[in-house]
Amino acid sequence: MSQKTAHQIDTEAADWAARIDRAPLAGEQEQQFHAWLAEDVRCVGAYARMRAFALTTERARALGPDFDPAAFGASVSLFPRRRLLQAGGAIAATALIGVGAAWQILRQRGRFTTGKGETKVVALKDGSVVTLNTSSEIQVSYSEDLRSVELIRGEALFDVAKNRARPFVVAAGDTSVRVVGTSFSVRRIDTAPIQVLVREGVVEVFKPAQDTKPVRISANSMAVAQTDNTAAITAMPIPAVQMHRQMAWQSGQIAFEGETLAQAAAEFARYSDTKIVIDDPALAREEIAGLFKATDPIGFAQTIALSLNAHARIGEGEVRLAR
Amino acid sequence: MTGVSDERAIWLGRHVLPHEPALRNWLRHRRLGGLDIDDIIQETYARLVAAESVAHVHDPKSYAFQIAGSVVIDHLRRLKVVSISQLPDLDYLEVVSDAPSPERQVIDRDELMRLADMIARLPGKVREVFTLRRVYGLSQREVAEKLGLAESTVEKHMAKGFLIMLELFQHGGKELSQPSNPTPAKLRTRIFDVTKDRPSD
Repeated sequence: MSQKTAHQIDTEAADWAARIDRAPLAGEQEQQFHAWLAEDVRCVGAYARMRAFALTTERARALGPDFDPAAFGASVSLFPRRRLLQAGGAIAATALIGVGAAWQILRQRGRFTTGKGETKVVALKDGSVVTLNTSSEIQVSYSEDLRSVELIRGEALFDVAKNRARPFVVAAGDTSVRVVGTSFSVRRIDTAPIQVLVREGVVEVFKPAQDTKPVRISANSMAVAQTDNTAAITAMPIPAVQMHRQMAWQSGQIAFEGETLAQAAAEFARYSDTKIVIDDPALAREEIAGLFKATDPIGFAQTIALSLNAHARIGEGEVRLAR
Repeated sequence: MTGVSDERAIWLGRHVLPHEPALRNWLRHRRLGGLDIDDIIQETYARLVAAESVAHVHDPKSYAFQIAGSVVIDHLRRLKVVSISQLPDLDYLEVVSDAPSPERQVIDRDELMRLADMIARLPGKVREVFTLRRVYGLSQREVAEKLGLAESTVEKHMAKGFLIMLELFQHGGKELSQPSNPTPAKLRTRIFDVTKDRPSD
């Protein structure tokens, strides 16, 4: 038997796995590889294990193009640190974790986006959960004494973990929402007023640049903040039914209750590239109601056509409604 | 000598690697006649590669434990002078078999998060190279061009990445074969759920 230690063999196996990951072996390299495998039965095993692991890591593609390892950090501590230290010294990784962990514990930064028709749930390391609606983008910046999230565009629902010492602030344009622990959504679409819906708890809506008092709103109410550089923030209670409707997107649906067909078409445009075109102005003014799948404008148009005695014609990238 | 087929390596990655932390833990409590656990693991994989077919293996976890057990016994037999009390207890049959469960998919997503976590823990340059190669799917050559590195350097970083991550995995991944604390696991796994599970027509 060879004098090599298991660790030496593992290191060599990793070298071969990386070489084979680069390109298939040929010629002299292939001969060297087989000679190495023949050295010790443990080489075959170590290589098989390393290759198995190397192929397993190909699953990382599923993390998607938005994955940023620096932002992921220790957002969830999957490896009990103590165990790793006990494992001790075998490899530089142990030391690395000691260094890397310090800032990861305190801060988390990351950008999350959704495409059209997509929703995404982002679990933040403090236990808060953000649900992103279609075509939305947030930037998360956690520091020691503040959990800060910027809503760059779109709509997001925040289920905030309670932590009095570390407020959670969502900034949407010039409007900010500050909470301790609650559930609320913020909507920022183009230049429309910022809309804040509170499902549980109490939040404060304010404009950091304006010298006005924050507006407090509680569960089952809504705040609307103008985006035209005025300090105008209005708050109003909303019925539970409407709250439920406004949150329908969470389960991939859109709810209408008396909106015009034109408004409904605009709402669907947030979720899908297939446009709903209404050729008849009278038809566009018809009021509709119902719960529809957000990503299926064609199904919606066909259903509506049936009930409004119209017909839906499907073309490239659009569906046209006419009488 | 045929080396190791990708097909077998994929099978090992899917069915044996996830149980390796449990297997190591089990070996830690056995009498091994002076054998090193890492050596046993390597030899176990070697035997799993040498097996003509794995199609008949219905319970890879128990199978891997049995092979590891036989590696130890063969070693003890070769020693010949070993006293009977040093023979390992043949309790590998107690290994709970892993029938596919509804939790399986959840665990798979959990594993993906572990993978993300392991990548995040790699040292700077290794992490950068590994992310470009494995997450963004660039070839090693493309990674080298993008970062202005020699291809051989990229290869070295990949080797280091494999080694560090597998080390993290074997020591820290104990929970891999069992669902962990349900609440945080649920939060974690929801991250990539929604877009995939969106109802389709």
